[in-house]
Amino acid sequence: MIDLAAPLVIGDIADLLTSPGEMSRIVIEGLAKGSLYLMISAGLTLIFGLMDVINFAHGAFTMYGAYIAGAALLGLGVGSMGFLGSMGSIFVVMLFVFLLLAALGVVFEVALIRKLYEYPPIFMILLTFGFAITLEELMRMVVEFGDINNGQWQIDWATPRIESVPTELASTTEIGFLSFSGLQLLQIAFGVLTFVGIWAFLNRTRYGLFVRAGVEDEEMAKALGININRTFTAVFAVGSGLAGIAGVMLALDPLWAVNVPLALAVLLPAFVIVIVGGLGSFTGTAVASLLVGMIDALGTWAFQTGVITFTDLDQLMIFGILVVMLILRPRGLFGVEGQGDHG
Amino acid sequence: MTLLELDGVHTYYGESHILQGVDLEVGDDEVVALLGRNGVGKTTTLRSILQLTPPAEGSIRFKGDELVGKDTYEIAEAGIGWIPEERRMFGRLSVEENLRAAVPTAAAVAEGLELAYETFPILEERAGQRAGDLSGGQQQMLAIARGLVGQNELLLVDEPSEGLAPKIVTDVGEALLSASASVPILLIEQKLGLALDLADRYYVMDHGEIIDQGETAGVTAEDEKLRRYLSA
Amino acid sequence: MSTENGERVPAWIGQYLRDHLLLVVIVAMFVAYPFLYGFLTNQFGIAAAMILPETRTMLTIMALGLFAMSFDFVSGYTGYLSFGHAAFFGIGAYFVVMGFNGQVPLVPAELPFMVLLVLGGLVAAVAALLIGLISFRLSGVYFAMITLGISEVLYVVSNNWDYITPGSSDPSDGVAAGAPSDVGFFEPVIGIPFVDPLNAMVGPFGDETLLGFDFGDPQIVSYFLIGAVVLLCYLAMKRIIHSPFGKVMIAIRENEERARAIGYNTFRYKMGAFMISAFFGAIAGGLLVAYVGTIDPQNSFFFLVTGFALVAAIIGGLGTLAGPFFGYIFLEGVQEFLAREGGGGGLQPFLEQTLPGGVLELNLGGLTVNEALNSFMTGHGEFYAGIIFVLFVLYIPIGLLGTLRQRLGTESVAKYISRRVTARFDSAESQPAD
Repeated sequence: MIDLAAPLVIGDIADLLTSPGEMSRIVIEGLAKGSLYLMISAGLTLIFGLMDVINFAHGAFTMYGAYIAGAALLGLGVGSMGFLGSMGSIFVVMLFVFLLLAALGVVFEVALIRKLYEYPPIFMILLTFGFAITLEELMRMVVEFGDINNGQWQIDWATPRIESVPTELASTTEIGFLSFSGLQLLQIAFGVLTFVGIWAFLNRTRYGLFVRAGVEDEEMAKALGININRTFTAVFAVGSGLAGIAGVMLALDPLWAVNVPLALAVLLPAFVIVIVGGLGSFTGTAVASLLVGMIDALGTWAFQTGVITFTDLDQLMIFGILVVMLILRPRGLFGVEGQGDHG
Repeated sequence: MTLLELDGVHTYYGESHILQGVDLEVGDDEVVALLGRNGVGKTTTLRSILQLTPPAEGSIRFKGDELVGKDTYEIAEAGIGWIPEERRMFGRLSVEENLRAAVPTAAAVAEGLELAYETFPILEERAGQRAGDLSGGQQQMLAIARGLVGQNELLLVDEPSEGLAPKIVTDVGEALLSASASVPILLIEQKLGLALDLADRYYVMDHGEIIDQGETAGVTAEDEKLRRYLSA
Repeated sequence: MSTENGERVPAWIGQYLRDHLLLVVIVAMFVAYPFLYGFLTNQFGIAAAMILPETRTMLTIMALGLFAMSFDFVSGYTGYLSFGHAAFFGIGAYFVVMGFNGQVPLVPAELPFMVLLVLGGLVAAVAALLIGLISFRLSGVYFAMITLGISEVLYVVSNNWDYITPGSSDPSDGVAAGAPSDVGFFEPVIGIPFVDPLNAMVGPFGDETLLGFDFGDPQIVSYFLIGAVVLLCYLAMKRIIHSPFGKVMIAIRENEERARAIGYNTFRYKMGAFMISAFFGAIAGGLLVAYVGTIDPQNSFFFLVTGFALVAAIIGGLGTLAGPFFGYIFLEGVQEFLAREGGGGGLQPFLEQTLPGGVLELNLGGLTVNEALNSFMTGHGEFYAGIIFVLFVLYIPIGLLGTLRQRLGTESVAKYISRRVTARFDSAESQPAD
């Protein structure tokens, strides 16, 4: 419900700027959200950067990761473990989800995507889109059939989160004027881990070298003996696995809903981030994730202090960033000329 | 001993019939130059060998094995190296990374880098620099180095002197000459003098076919017949 | 040709029929459909009801089929995928509803339906202009993303903005035409104004007579009128495609660089095509509202509305214009068949009736066959649609109509048929009379 309360704006902003506690809270919130966005988008960037494939099914993979995580957490009985036990289990679940979704990605790439490499990019969009719809519908059937969350695929499946997430994560710690929750710390930690992990993969491994070479000049890479098809499969697997892990993280966060529409809810910010950062640039994605995270945090603050009351405001803002970027600098912050220039 | 053999190769670029029945051979101990005006199909010939633009008809045999129908990376693995027109560096990767990408196996990397740096000390100096920041001549050295470290038995070299200053062209020529001591080369080169210096034999191409060939010994850059072939 | 009195029937009628034979036949089939449906379901019972949609469902199908065609108009012919095309559908639908309710500034309440319809189309065209200004400067991928984003924004706004729903109801439930208390009933009339037999009110409580005939069923009258509008729009789009303008659109799809090099201002053509497609997309939205009288975000701005148009276009054939329309019918048919949606009968009730009770109660791992059918089929049409879609993309990428055209070696199946018939007719006429 829109209800712009303009007179309060100036006062609120002044309050914000003079309060280091508030400021730092927003910054930390921005970092945490940015980390989540990074995990959501990293896979998409890798896949698009190398293979020029816009993976519409990316959001569906994340949604699957969230549901699987929920089921695994309940199944393992994480709720009755102590703090260390819970955290350990969460890591195990992450690993499991990564491998499972990476495998799904491999199957998808080998069975379907490979067939369309030589075709115009529109077919790739259509294929991944069709796959996404099928996956989402399949999950709907599973939820109804398996009576998950009382068969409600539209409503957040909060049970695993409520029962399994250790209370330490929800609680807030205060150091000086800084205040943050355990969950935010975990998210930021994983964000950093994801960034470093992918960076190391790209820049310190032989496969990563092949990927970067392939991104720049696929033909030349092939002519040097690089089996680019195998590299594609590997990248698709990693990208899918990352999408899955992002789903696990989202399942732990009460601000995100574990439901079937999560697929689309995740896809749009991911696309925006990848485009704003620059198609094909991992650094760009990282920076854009932080940017979007910060703006999201600011938007939440504005919402909470009543400056603007409009649910789903974050979607509007994210989209606004996209429009601004496309007007000012279409190839994104770190984009390379020529990427994505297929009609 | 014939290393590479093209037999009746027809290649299309979309609707255009570029190669209209190309026949040529490269022995395992020679440098062969492919001459001709712009646009007659010289680069397409190399691309056809590499299966980047696969032929519609005809056969291409390397060491007796048929290449047509294979993947480009398999051709590279078989031992054919490509030093393309415009060098095509991985500009955002470092010099060293460009070399690493060219070495066929992880185990051979150290050896490969050593070979490259010995042949072209300048590359060692700039090992950590982005390849895109190198000068034209240095990039050409890097391109040749990539061909050398790839454990190749045949190099396909396309217009190595293009866009380079005369002094640099001389350096490039020397580099290719010393490379040819260990590896046979199929060379496309517009500068007739350079081509004749490097090559043992030559083919002349026009409208997608070979129209003349011969030994380079005794032929100079002033040769009437050749100049006629190459004038626009 | 001559009648009993020896007078000749004007030759041009015969010529026209031959030139447009396929179109005439298809239109005739559609006209006859409501009556055929009744006949066929009486004769073949549930088997027929399983496959054939009811007249009521056909109304929605036609409006959405028009939408699919408008989608193809820009996406199939210029090559720029309008992923957010639902935005225009929604604009058309919401404009009719809110315009009637007096909620649109500068638009008086209770305007005649046809006026609102056209105005909605114009608004959509203007929106397309604005969107195109931002997006067309970039490549197709960006265009697809931006249009998607815009339809998402409109979806979010329509889901939350309480200006839309007067009183205190939730905007996400949608809004009805005629809802505000100071506005009369929504009585949309389609047809030629002031000529009584040629217009009628559309809707579940609409007129039952048209053209002097009493059909006794408002659904049938609505069906004819909506169908007439859809036909007109199709003919208009077809005319544009076959004009020089359309040829440039196709040139842009094949090779935009070359088109620009030849001297065409491709930006203007893309823009024009986009605006036209938006206009017709909005008309489709308005037509949907005509019968139902209400609209909600889920059925207008939601991404899947475009999604299904896309699926329909692929199945029918991108860039064939008529293909997506039939693709949509095929899609709906499959969904109904497999998933018992829209009350048109389906496979499940068929199986329930024909399979022996023993089979239905058969237990497969803790689940009876009956329950399994229920879980995996009812309401899950999209799953099977998705699979079919993927199969089409992989194996029949040019769609059904596209493949047909290819097989016959022609640009237009209609022209092909006309040529063959004319040739036959000409050779018959040249036979000496007995």
